[in-house]
Amino acid sequence: MDKVIKVSLAGQPNVGKSVIFNQLTGLHQHIGNWPGKTVEKAEGTLHFGGHTIEVLDLPGTYSLSSFTLEERIAREHIALEKPDVVVNVIDACSLERNLFLTLQLLELEAPLVVALNQMDMVKKRGVQIDVAKLEKELGVPVVPTVAITGKGLKQLLEKVIENRGRKARFPRYGREIERKISKLEKKLEGLGYPPKWLALKLLEEDEEVEKIVEASRPDILLLVRRMRKELEKMHGERAPVIIASERYSLAGRIAKEVQSVTQAGGVLSDKLDRLTTNPLTAYPILVLVVLSVFLLVFQIGGKLTWIFDAASEKLETIHWLPRSALEGLLAAASVALPYIIPFYLILHLLEDSGYLPRAAFAMDSLMHRMGLHGKAFIPAMLGFGCDVPACLGCRVMETERDKVLAAMVVTMVPCAATSAVILGLVGKCLGLLAVLVLYVIHFAIVFMLGRLLFKVLPGEPVGLIMEMPPYRVPHLPTVLKETWGRTLEFLKIAVPLVVLGSVGLAALYETGAADVINSVLSPVTVGWLGLPAVTGTVLLMGILRKEMLLILLAATVGTTNFSSVLTDAQILVFGMVSLLYLPCISTFAALTKEIGWKRAVGISLLRISLAIFVGGIFYRIARLLC
Amino acid sequence: MERVEEYLEAIFRLKERGEKATVTRLSQLLHVTPASVTQMLRKLLQMGFISRQPYGEISLTRRGEELGRKVLRKHRVAEEFLRYLQVPEDKIHDKACELEHHLSDEVERAMHRKVEGERLKSPSGLLPLTALLEGEEGVVERLTGGRGLCQRISAMGLTPGTRVKMVRSSMFGGPILVFVRGTTLALGRGVATRILVRVD
Repeated sequence: MDKVIKVSLAGQPNVGKSVIFNQLTGLHQHIGNWPGKTVEKAEGTLHFGGHTIEVLDLPGTYSLSSFTLEERIAREHIALEKPDVVVNVIDACSLERNLFLTLQLLELEAPLVVALNQMDMVKKRGVQIDVAKLEKELGVPVVPTVAITGKGLKQLLEKVIENRGRKARFPRYGREIERKISKLEKKLEGLGYPPKWLALKLLEEDEEVEKIVEASRPDILLLVRRMRKELEKMHGERAPVIIASERYSLAGRIAKEVQSVTQAGGVLSDKLDRLTTNPLTAYPILVLVVLSVFLLVFQIGGKLTWIFDAASEKLETIHWLPRSALEGLLAAASVALPYIIPFYLILHLLEDSGYLPRAAFAMDSLMHRMGLHGKAFIPAMLGFGCDVPACLGCRVMETERDKVLAAMVVTMVPCAATSAVILGLVGKCLGLLAVLVLYVIHFAIVFMLGRLLFKVLPGEPVGLIMEMPPYRVPHLPTVLKETWGRTLEFLKIAVPLVVLGSVGLAALYETGAADVINSVLSPVTVGWLGLPAVTGTVLLMGILRKEMLLILLAATVGTTNFSSVLTDAQILVFGMVSLLYLPCISTFAALTKEIGWKRAVGISLLRISLAIFVGGIFYRIARLLC
Repeated sequence: MERVEEYLEAIFRLKERGEKATVTRLSQLLHVTPASVTQMLRKLLQMGFISRQPYGEISLTRRGEELGRKVLRKHRVAEEFLRYLQVPEDKIHDKACELEHHLSDEVERAMHRKVEGERLKSPSGLLPLTALLEGEEGVVERLTGGRGLCQRISAMGLTPGTRVKMVRSSMFGGPILVFVRGTTLALGRGVATRILVRVD
């Protein structure tokens, strides 16, 4: 038995890297985080030809600069952990662009095997790729694959075993750059990183590498600065741009050498693309898509909830302690199964089809007003299902500042549970128009809050640079896998908190503490917001799970016919406060995880004071009108 | 009013180039003393055309930007028209500066139609990427802006010498879509104005 072979998958986003990872490792995988980082780390094992192979899926990146966390993680891993083989998955349909990353992997002199993926698509487009020639140009093995059918993966593994530990050759760039690298590399030995790579990164003005070198060899930086000046004078460009141009021109040359177009094929998705990016049609389509997602989810969800209603009836005879714990479990499941799973299924179908980037594109202007860019719209969409994955989804933002801002905005998007409360209370008693008005007011407030935070937070907003993948038919196994991952993420964070919360809640009622809470809160609830005193505990408990607002309200006022016990103004105020007042405890946990507990507390305080303020004013206006 | 338009045009032009509008820059550009710039800016502030940012940077309000853009467009149309009439090159700029304030929208459109086919070019011959019309192609000449942004832009393949094609430019002053190196990229407006292209 050979020793374990460590393989890392590297590649740009949307090239089918995750599909290959899933095909290789099947069910034997483990998803976690990189130590101390919020970036996902997926690992798995497989057995092939008598070898045990450990596969690690690196984050998808376009480049290996130091601009994003993902890029830093990927390159540190390859440079320092030194995997036995790095498999670079590239999309045969956009060879030139993908080779840009391949060249950077060669710069790290990693043992490389290239998986030339989506070979079926490229043939359909009438393009032929000379694999042997590509191998020769790059100096590493190239294996054509079709990830979704699993074609070529066996050959890929054979090449992986054959080529483990075989260092790749540094790519051949322009002579003046090579000369500078060879001058620098001897001085850069013994730092743990490949010296040639360090040299090139220094020329490229890479901040992280500058820090590494500055600590031990500060004299080199002066030399590097002089070299950079020389280059900049020669090219009339900034150094990072010169090096990127160098890579792209080499990538372009290789792509041209190995590709031949046999017939020019039209792309089917063009028409759809035009419709979804033309302002005249893009916005109506966006509204239509969002609305139908909701209708569909609430239709499906509504049909499924009876199971949980029936189950909770069965529980009524048990002692309150185990009952409340079971009720908590049931509640988590009754949100996850009927609402969250269908919602994410639909959303991931949209994502895989390529629609979400178009939606992000259409929303860029609006998001920009809050100092964010269009990409933040994707986690905001997730928020309509549940704010926990939405918060975690803010990892797509490039900088810490953008992440904090996005996290605040997206966690204010009313989740499925909150929407259920609003529909069940305001919608049922006052009609859908009232719901619409509440939502419009809520989003106006969110927007203003976003703008305010944008002005207050230090730092520059980052502009949108996003690839628009062509439309395609979604790949179902990938969609199911993603949905499952999201659901697990939700369950992991929410279940323990919801169960604990349910027990605590039951204890409050059993011990009579609820009445004390009601009277303590009554100056705010009764005096300022004009609500009945019993809403004090209801609102407090809503922090555990938002749908509790409706259930508890019904339980405490003794009827689901809310109009008979609450005035119209009270219903509106309760709805408004429910939308604004606090993130639920699971969302709070997610916020803490992503942006730290201080900021999470800050956001919560901001929201509760806003809810009280707006609610009170709202009550006074509503009383005049109703 | 002419002076007002002149200033707004200058501020807008600086903004379009990705430069910061400051009193010093404006006084150089308009050949006036910094003191008179300051005086004029106070007036513009009162009229609600500009707002002042920290570090002495001047930014246009929405109204100011609209007017600035309009005047600059008229200036370019006038220049192009004068060139079309074969007015000597050294007189064109100054004459266009006079004309720009007196062109109605209708006359501007008529002139533009006349010289259609000849692309409107900024004085350096370079345009921000956002100025391309849909379907039009250009070659990236220069990236302005900070190191981080330059790195991001060039990593996505928009390096000098690269051909780009404008796919979608009209998203209500929002982002644009360009086709470059075989893929479509969405670029925020702020990013796209930092990419200067040459149209041939």
